[in-house]
Amino acid sequence: MVWQKEGQFAYKTFLKKHKVILVFFSFLFVCLSIRLFYLQIIKGGEYTIISQQQRLHNTYEHAPRGIIYSASNAVLVENEFTYVAIYRPYDHHQNPSEQIVKELTKILGREIKPVVDKGLKYGKVVMLVDNLTKEEMFKIEEKSLSSKGVSVVKDFRRIYSYPEITGHITGYTSKISSQEVENLSEQGYKMGDYIGKGGIEQAYDKYLQGKDGGWQVEVNARGHQVKAFKYVAPEIGADIYSTIDLKLQKVAYDALKESDAGKGAAVVLDAKTGAVKALVSCPGFDTNKVRSRDFEKYSKDDKNLPLFNRALQAHYPPGSIFKIVTFAAATDIFSIDSLDLIHCTGSFELGDRHYACWCKQGHGKLNLISAMAQSCNIYFYQLGLKLGMKNLEKYAKKFYLGEKTGIDLPNEKEGFIPNPEWKKSKSKAKWLKGDTVIFAIGQGALCVTPLQMACMISAIANNGVCHKPYIVDRAVNISGNEVYKHELEFDDKLELTHKTWKLLHEALLETVENGTGKKCKLPGIKVAGKTGTAENPQGKDHGWFVSYAPADNPEIAMAIFVEHGGGGGLSAVPIGRKIYEAYFNIDNDKEEKVVKQ
Amino acid sequence: MIQEKNFFQRLTSNVDWWLVFAVAVLMLISFSAVYSAGIVYGNSFKYLSVQILAYLVGSVGLLLLTSFNYQHYKHLDKLMYVLSLLLLSSVLVFGSAKRGTKGWFDFGFVSFQPVEIAKIMFILALASFLDAKVKEVKKMSFLVSVFAMLTGHLILIMLQPDFSSTLSYLPVTFALLFIIGFEPFYLLCIIILVGLAVGIPLLETFVNMQLKVLHNETFLTNLAFFFKTGWNGFYIVFMGLFLIIAGFWFLRKLKVKIPAVYPIILCVAILIGCATSVPVGKSLKDYQRKRLIVFLNPKVDPRGSGYNVIQSKIAIGSGKFTGKGFKNGTQTQLGFLPEQHTDFIFSVIGEEGGWIMAQLTLFCYFLFIWRALVIAKEARDRYGALVASGVATMFTFYVIINIGMVMGMMPVTGMPLLLLSYGGSSVFSSLCAIGILCSIHTRRHTYS
Repeated sequence: MVWQKEGQFAYKTFLKKHKVILVFFSFLFVCLSIRLFYLQIIKGGEYTIISQQQRLHNTYEHAPRGIIYSASNAVLVENEFTYVAIYRPYDHHQNPSEQIVKELTKILGREIKPVVDKGLKYGKVVMLVDNLTKEEMFKIEEKSLSSKGVSVVKDFRRIYSYPEITGHITGYTSKISSQEVENLSEQGYKMGDYIGKGGIEQAYDKYLQGKDGGWQVEVNARGHQVKAFKYVAPEIGADIYSTIDLKLQKVAYDALKESDAGKGAAVVLDAKTGAVKALVSCPGFDTNKVRSRDFEKYSKDDKNLPLFNRALQAHYPPGSIFKIVTFAAATDIFSIDSLDLIHCTGSFELGDRHYACWCKQGHGKLNLISAMAQSCNIYFYQLGLKLGMKNLEKYAKKFYLGEKTGIDLPNEKEGFIPNPEWKKSKSKAKWLKGDTVIFAIGQGALCVTPLQMACMISAIANNGVCHKPYIVDRAVNISGNEVYKHELEFDDKLELTHKTWKLLHEALLETVENGTGKKCKLPGIKVAGKTGTAENPQGKDHGWFVSYAPADNPEIAMAIFVEHGGGGGLSAVPIGRKIYEAYFNIDNDKEEKVVKQ
Repeated sequence: MIQEKNFFQRLTSNVDWWLVFAVAVLMLISFSAVYSAGIVYGNSFKYLSVQILAYLVGSVGLLLLTSFNYQHYKHLDKLMYVLSLLLLSSVLVFGSAKRGTKGWFDFGFVSFQPVEIAKIMFILALASFLDAKVKEVKKMSFLVSVFAMLTGHLILIMLQPDFSSTLSYLPVTFALLFIIGFEPFYLLCIIILVGLAVGIPLLETFVNMQLKVLHNETFLTNLAFFFKTGWNGFYIVFMGLFLIIAGFWFLRKLKVKIPAVYPIILCVAILIGCATSVPVGKSLKDYQRKRLIVFLNPKVDPRGSGYNVIQSKIAIGSGKFTGKGFKNGTQTQLGFLPEQHTDFIFSVIGEEGGWIMAQLTLFCYFLFIWRALVIAKEARDRYGALVASGVATMFTFYVIINIGMVMGMMPVTGMPLLLLSYGGSSVFSSLCAIGILCSIHTRRHTYS
């Protein structure tokens, strides 16, 4: 074939170029086909998942949290329905306009200040107003603000029946932070959830937290709902039954509040099981106000540190309570006879240092029991010297000092036992005999928490069997099944000789009967205990009182700590007495009236 | 009577049925895809009817142009070119603007984009010019006049401004120059020149965007800083020139004979390319730069320019082998796809029809282009061959760029997929171009 009016050569050269073009175009189409095959056949599954993800969304309906009960089934925490007005900026491609805010202010008649940050991230929700009443909700719906993007949704608010008294036990809830979501997303937490902070709310969050329900919906490219697929009803969280005895809790809190500085802690344990009957840290904080705006100011500016759970977290020297340890070590190791007498002149010389007894004129002649009852420092200085630091440290550890009790509440502190190595590494000074002497009466760097003291005295009451303290007995879900039940755990590594136990119980009983704890002497019930005074170089001393009752068959054991309360015998012991009176139902007022008549 | 019968017989017996088959299949795919894509906008019937109307009107044009002897265009080349220039200038004066482009004649019920027709007129005019001046192919004046013709159109279209339409002119011109026997080396030089002129401002934009995206120091950011600071760009250009001259000298030593003109022309092309990059860079609109950049890395701006590419890839990919079914594509029906009835129509086919339909579409296009090239081969004169090759190149370019863009291989340029995309002007002009092809085909044995 030849082109018209052209030579054959021209057509031949055209054919060559034509072939090149045909091959080149075919190559391009092969490239497209390969790409198509790659996208649809090889990567098809991946893209299908992506397209599902951007198509389907879940709208969440929060599940109410479980209720927390006291031992006598009194409600400590429950839920209240509230309504909140929210705005989803993503749907409207803008943040709430000023006009919306103005209109809302007009309708509600109160100032609203929505917290709006920049950016229209998908799923972001701007809270316009919370704690709406039903009437306010209807008003908003009537004014058809919903067409402008304001939606009113049901929300739950935690209501604490005894906010200040049980605040440290229950803890509170707050909106989960993005940091927490990152860490906890594997456990199913997501943005917008409430999470327990402190106390039972935190420790048992996974039981209290219900299962969120909601709609699975199909959304279009703008995020608007197109159709809904299925609805899952939210499942309420499990109820928690705690071991708290509200009566004791109240008495202890009120008594501590009335103390000199109004600060302190009290822990009451069931001596037979380790159940926490009362756990007070004073001052408490109003858990109902946690979500309000002025909460931070109120909690951070207060010098009394209301958010600080003293019962679990406070580190204080035990003072004379530690004499129990020294006493036990000495009787265990040297089998001291209770009749061995020592003369207390009120002072004690060691090298060139001078150590005084709290009783300046001296106690005179004392044996082991009366030295304990009078809490004579001189006697215990000498015992301490005789025992040496190694033995004292060993017995302190035997009495569970310096380790966590393992209570089922968060943020427990473990206390501290000093030793020569620690002193060397800290201040590069040698451990002196004076340090041992001070250690023997529980002063110096030795630190304990009130909860540790309560556990110690409860172990003593049981002749060495230490029950692990617990505050939650069981969790019961909505269908009545027990999803959690506390199992009693005890430890009996505190082994002392029979004679030691006998002497120790005798001494502790004597302390309350005739010694420093006299103010806790109750008619008809024998109380055994020990007072303590933690020396405080910055201010007034702290008072301690550990005790259990009845002495022959202990039912409850407690530790009372009064911050800046002065000597334990005067500050802490009367509080202990009030708690016993409440527990054993002894009507103090009636007795006094009888006496007056 | 006999005359008429002859004409009709000639028409039917000489029709390229493969070509007609390919176009018919593409038409059916287009109807279903446009209908399905229109549902989310609530306009499916309107889109479908407009598309059917465009095909009807286009078919009339096709038949008219088929019966018209294409050789007459050859003598009308000057008139054709002037007419196309008039069309393009009048749209600048009388036209109305859509999406920032003043390229439409609005007749109320229907609007028309003259650039689509101007493209085909340009192919006809250029082919006739090349055919006439085939003997002068080595002369400088020849090249100058070809590019003068080209720039006449380009400037008028740039004034609209319609960047993507101008892109289609270059491959057509290059292909025709190549066929006419233009030295491939010079073509390469021209491509380098144009590439540099457009590429440098794009690289600059890319670097700027990358700097915003990347916070940590990487090799890329360091490189970007290197480019951005002062005279380094010039150093690189001079380094390139030096390498060319050194390479040339080295080849000379090896007794490989290359005329000295070649390296000189190459160097000049590079220099001119760099120089023209400055005014080109200023004339490119910001969104156009971004569109070209985003295809390199769609995640640069996922909710902005990159959104289109990501969504269309998801749509096509999730179609898998058999597709989600007609009117059942989740991406299509929930509005995740942008411009799904026009530029991104292929993703609708890919999602709802799956690999089978998408590959069938590709195959039909290939069949169509193969037939167009066969028509070029069988044409009875050089003019016919040139016109057919030009039309084939234009279609190939559109298909490759558009489908490549939808599948994330090419920049997002806003080019419609000829014959498939919703739009009267492009369907009409495509069918007219096919009419010319048929005209060439039916007259392949006619001698005059």
